[in-house]
Amino acid sequence: MLACNNGGKAGWLARLNLEFERRATATILARRSHLGPLRVQKPLYPEGAEVCHTLLLHPPAGIAGGDELEITATVADGAHALLTTPGAGKWYRSAGAWASQRLDFAVGTGAVLEWLPQETIVFDGALANMQTRVALAEQAGFIGWEVLCLGRRASGESLASGALRLSTRIERAGRPIWLERGMLEGGSTLLQSPAGLAGYSVSATLLATGEGLDPALLAACRQQLPAEAGARHGLTLLPDMLVARYLGHSSEAARAWMTALWLLLRPAMTGRAATVPRIWNT
Amino acid sequence: MSAALVRLLQLSSPALPVGAYTYSQGLEWAVETGVVHSEETALDWIADCLEFGSARFEAVYLAHMIRAWQLEDGRRLAELDAEFVASRETAELRAETLQMGYSLVRLLADMGDFPTQHLVAFPEPSFPLAWSCAAAAWSIPVEDALAGYLWAWAENQVMAAVKAAPFGQTAGQRLLLQLGSRLHLLAEEARQTPIELACNYLPAFAIASSRHETQYTRLFRS
Repeated sequence: MLACNNGGKAGWLARLNLEFERRATATILARRSHLGPLRVQKPLYPEGAEVCHTLLLHPPAGIAGGDELEITATVADGAHALLTTPGAGKWYRSAGAWASQRLDFAVGTGAVLEWLPQETIVFDGALANMQTRVALAEQAGFIGWEVLCLGRRASGESLASGALRLSTRIERAGRPIWLERGMLEGGSTLLQSPAGLAGYSVSATLLATGEGLDPALLAACRQQLPAEAGARHGLTLLPDMLVARYLGHSSEAARAWMTALWLLLRPAMTGRAATVPRIWNT
Repeated sequence: MSAALVRLLQLSSPALPVGAYTYSQGLEWAVETGVVHSEETALDWIADCLEFGSARFEAVYLAHMIRAWQLEDGRRLAELDAEFVASRETAELRAETLQMGYSLVRLLADMGDFPTQHLVAFPEPSFPLAWSCAAAAWSIPVEDALAGYLWAWAENQVMAAVKAAPFGQTAGQRLLLQLGSRLHLLAEEARQTPIELACNYLPAFAIASSRHETQYTRLFRS
């Protein structure tokens, strides 16, 4: 592990690089390298050799001001990888330095990547910069979600200060098919705005792109209703992307809803039944 | 009074035949669910969509597109256009910008006031791409163009609220007075914003737009 100099503030620099490849019918984690406190557990194969499940570990448990995390994952032609995390990601209050996480994913022809982390909790006063970039081949599949919790609501906390910068870009064959950027400043009107966060502390988004998306699948997904009273949700089908959004106060309910959607999307898009990773139940 | 101002008025007018009046951008769903139920709540909704969506994202892209037309930078225009289309986060919002973009491209080509061969060549022209082409061709200063574009957007939203809520015409004009009072500041901010800081994250707006797709009775196409 090493500390880096980040604008005069000490923070962790952590990098993780994962390369998945297909061997015969199996997906293997062919190469991995890391720098600093980011690790993966031994790949798991709960649904057989075709799909490689990988748990991303960040032993410091949370991201503090000045930390920089970079995760790159390449899923080569024909391979299928599922990445998840063992617990909630946390962004701690910062004394003044920004922390950043950059996800850089590439998915090859006939390959599938599922990025299904547990929720992300942004503490009051955190300065969090989250960037995600996904480069897809012409024939590649991706299912990803992000469950954002603004403040530790259980302890009565909201995002009163600090800021969260979001940037997500998905490209297929070099052309952008999804672009979203956000700047959520603690205590800002956007958090309360009826068109913004509408006072909700949990905002979740699921994005799915690849084969098998059609109006019938959208209609099936629309039959799934969140369990949380008062939560808002919506689904839409773009030419090359299914989008599901959730606003509420319960990250558990948000995850349960998105998991229900995933149970429908996964088999339709990949021909493989969805098996809920055991770590989600612990 | 400049010649460019008259062109800006023409481009920003509800008489521009691109079908803008058929779109509410989720406002109709906000009315349906009671989020918008009064003049005051209509102002909250429209003012926030104006500031956090139209001004901080759409107008920033528009500004960069106008500059790219001025520089005849086709490659940059293609990037900006593809990014703008990718940023339209629901089926209705995406269909809206592509339909209005297509209509404006046809209109500008048929009017024949300036050469449009570069514009016509774009495979998926968004509405801001076509609009920025005219703004550049007619030498409208960027900041004025942004204010005009945002004004036209606000006017269209208010007319949608007047129809959907419904409100009286005087209430509509009161809303426009309030929305208009900060427009020059929003336009100035948008003019100075680097493209990578343009933000479109408005989850409740996005949910409203996606729920509008299955709204039982509706007057609007978005």
